[in-house]
Amino acid sequence: MTRTVLWLLAGVVLGGVIHLAVILSLPSLAANAAWARVEALDALGKPVVLPTVVPGEPNALHLDPELAYAVCRMDLRQGAGVVRGVLPLAFWSVAVYGRTGTILYSTTNRDGIGQNLELGIFNQAQTRLLAQQQLDIAEGLLIVESRDDDVFVVIRLAPPHQAMRKRYEAALQKISCGTIPA
Amino acid sequence: MIAVALVVGFGLSWYALSDGRFFGAIDVGPWSAWRDAGSPTPDPYTRAFVSRNGALQLGASEGLQFVASADSDGQRLDRSCRYRIDGTTPVATFWTLVPTAPDGTPIARPGGPAAFNSARIARASDGSMQLYVSRALSPYNWLEITGDGPFVLALTLYDTSSFAGVGPTVATLPSIIREACAS
Repeated sequence: MTRTVLWLLAGVVLGGVIHLAVILSLPSLAANAAWARVEALDALGKPVVLPTVVPGEPNALHLDPELAYAVCRMDLRQGAGVVRGVLPLAFWSVAVYGRTGTILYSTTNRDGIGQNLELGIFNQAQTRLLAQQQLDIAEGLLIVESRDDDVFVVIRLAPPHQAMRKRYEAALQKISCGTIPA
Repeated sequence: MIAVALVVGFGLSWYALSDGRFFGAIDVGPWSAWRDAGSPTPDPYTRAFVSRNGALQLGASEGLQFVASADSDGQRLDRSCRYRIDGTTPVATFWTLVPTAPDGTPIARPGGPAAFNSARIARASDGSMQLYVSRALSPYNWLEITGDGPFVLALTLYDTSSFAGVGPTVATLPSIIREACAS
């Protein structure tokens, strides 16, 4: 009896170890589904407006049907990333994602940036150059430091009504996004 | 021993990443959210959830998404029933409520609105609301859904600080009340 309980206890302890190993290794073992889906879009260095989410159609990225989305992928090895654009006067937000799907930075247009989106994304080496004033950037650029070289930016825009969606998506398409060669 | 270890190890991992209760998700009534999903430095459970889930998470300053797969009595949401979503929502610039299949596919009637939007609902004079999600015609604010089987409700609060621990009020979320079910 005691022996059985001890075996069971050992099983539970080993189970705990397996559990911790699964949780800690999952982000590095599982190819991040969000990154893989974004990589499949032709969005390197240019904005791609994601298709409208329609009832009954698969929605793998779990997008909100009420919002319009633009995605832009960047390789910071080619230079610092810059996203620029003027967006309509409605709620919008921007988030910078790393390869693991973790958000490195996010903000909304309520944070005093109004209609103008001016975002610069720098890796650690580029941030160092920036601190040493060896990198020329435009004034007023919102500076984001990234620990990843592979990043993507998602801009969410909320049309006040679905009838305005096309116009809002056109505004997202006009965003310029890419890297400035070092 | 090996069987116990495998069941405990993988079973616990699966539970932690699908339900999340006790493992990093916050619960408010039937709603649960991964509060750290939008953080640059999420805890290990949230990090594993983000990797496995594959969704575009909302950044911490963009908002927070709550998901409910059961009603306020703990019964699984079923498309053959009519649900009343009743109460108030925390302060946010706006919110949306989307009924989806468990895989994220919106289940509203094709051709109609896919979601409730806080800017376009009728409210009572005290600001509270009554939303109905059902296949059959319902009063007040009604979103028609289609199909059979379980579903989930995703409530996304945009631009909210209610759960950042800085707000003066205790955040409350609406309750989900099951009404009639088609047999």
